[in-house]
Amino acid sequence: MIRLENVTKRYSTDVVALDGVSFDVPKGEFVFLVGPSGSGKSTLLRLINRQERPEEGSVFVAGRDIVDMSSNQIPQLRRNIGNVFQDYKLLLNKTVFENVAFALEVIGKPQHVISQQVPAVIDLVGLSGKEDRFPHQLSGGEQQRVSIARAFVNRPLILVADEPTGNLDPGTGEGIMRLLDRINGTGTTVVMATHDRRIVDAMRRRVVQLDRGVIVRDQERGVYQ
Amino acid sequence: MISRLRYMFRETGESIRRNPTLSVASVITAAVSLLIFGLTLIIQHGFDNLLSQWEGGVEMIVYVNSGAGEEQRLVIEDALGQQQGVTIEAWSYCDVACSLADADRLFAGDPVTRAQLTELNIPTQYKVVPLDATQVEILRGLRDRYLELPNVYSVQLAEEQLDLISKLQGFVSTYTTGLWIALMIAASLLIWNTIRTAMFARRREIEVMKLVGATDWFIRLPFMLEGLLQGVAGGAVASVAMWFINGRWTAGVETFPANSGMTALVVVDGYEWRVGLIVVLFGALIGTIGSGTAASKFLDV
Repeated sequence: MIRLENVTKRYSTDVVALDGVSFDVPKGEFVFLVGPSGSGKSTLLRLINRQERPEEGSVFVAGRDIVDMSSNQIPQLRRNIGNVFQDYKLLLNKTVFENVAFALEVIGKPQHVISQQVPAVIDLVGLSGKEDRFPHQLSGGEQQRVSIARAFVNRPLILVADEPTGNLDPGTGEGIMRLLDRINGTGTTVVMATHDRRIVDAMRRRVVQLDRGVIVRDQERGVYQ
Repeated sequence: MISRLRYMFRETGESIRRNPTLSVASVITAAVSLLIFGLTLIIQHGFDNLLSQWEGGVEMIVYVNSGAGEEQRLVIEDALGQQQGVTIEAWSYCDVACSLADADRLFAGDPVTRAQLTELNIPTQYKVVPLDATQVEILRGLRDRYLELPNVYSVQLAEEQLDLISKLQGFVSTYTTGLWIALMIAASLLIWNTIRTAMFARRREIEVMKLVGATDWFIRLPFMLEGLLQGVAGGAVASVAMWFINGRWTAGVETFPANSGMTALVVVDGYEWRVGLIVVLFGALIGTIGSGTAASKFLDV
């Protein structure tokens, strides 16, 4: 589903975020990206949804090399990739329902699809009954659930999550992980960058460890270390 | 399609509501610049009316008494014919209908005088194009000669009014054109800045939209529509102001003396409606250009 071949990404001549990185994520896999701050985890996620372009190498998503993809094809790519962020990136002037519906609305889905899919995904993330609340009326965990609902409402092939539990207490973080695990269970490939040792150790999924832009470990059913 | 349109109009409305002060400032600036643009066109048309009888290189007009018949006019035509190819390049006869049409333009701002001119009393005209318009002395000599011909009511040379009006027209059009171009750029830049501010205020939304796969055009269109509406609103305000000013000027000219030379410097032939439409379309254009460039440039907020 995702393949990186000798990918190098530099932000300047002396700042190398990724250096000759290669790895493969099959369809339906759950992968943790771990490593210290500045190791290149977020850059790698940004390469997958084409927010960044590498200086060298190729990035394949669903069989297509996206490095030289034209700018008018990028929206189509991103409709197949859900994004979850540490700071949720919710729209504060919109309700839970509107935040989730927004993801469908801006890609031109008709109203009947929106009114069918949005309640279903809100129910999936456990926020039924809170559709009319605004983000400031929700806890951090609930806000992250809205963010996940928004990322998943279009049933993407891939879900990339950048430190989704970073702002949450351990208990709430576990709830979010159960949700991501459940989404992964539907066949969606999940790539998640995290610093959360406890979660990685508890989940026992594939772990790709980065250090200064280089993969130093790629382990099936791994732990944080 | 309907949901996209609904989204676009809703987002445009919200964006305008979020920053009404800047939107109003953009509309006012656009209105002022478009008003000056519209007035420039109106003034130009007024001058064109004033100079219409001198179109096509005409430098001399021989007015013929209204009662003169075809035979009596032959004397004048013989005199003109003798000079054809010598000092005169061409001449043409402007009959009663043609002279009445001229009067419509010349006395557009003086309906009382115009009403006194009828098919029975209006002097017809011979319009004369000289071989060399710079030979003023030759033209003056011709005028003196033609004035002595029977049934000639009067002879008028272009130099007596054309030069002054042409200079005035050039002066006015140069400065008003410069002014409207400068203000139009200012209006476009202000709309550009309004859209930039609106996009900055909604940068989080734009970021989310891009991440979930909205196309650049989908993101851009509400902003472009906002700029378009500001331009159209400015154009509409300018059109109303222009019609008001034109109406007041026309009413004022009616009180001028008939020999003031200003009676043709009005626009009452419906041209002002066309200019109003042009002003609105121009407003839409500057609004779209301003907002379109901003929406493209600042999409990566």
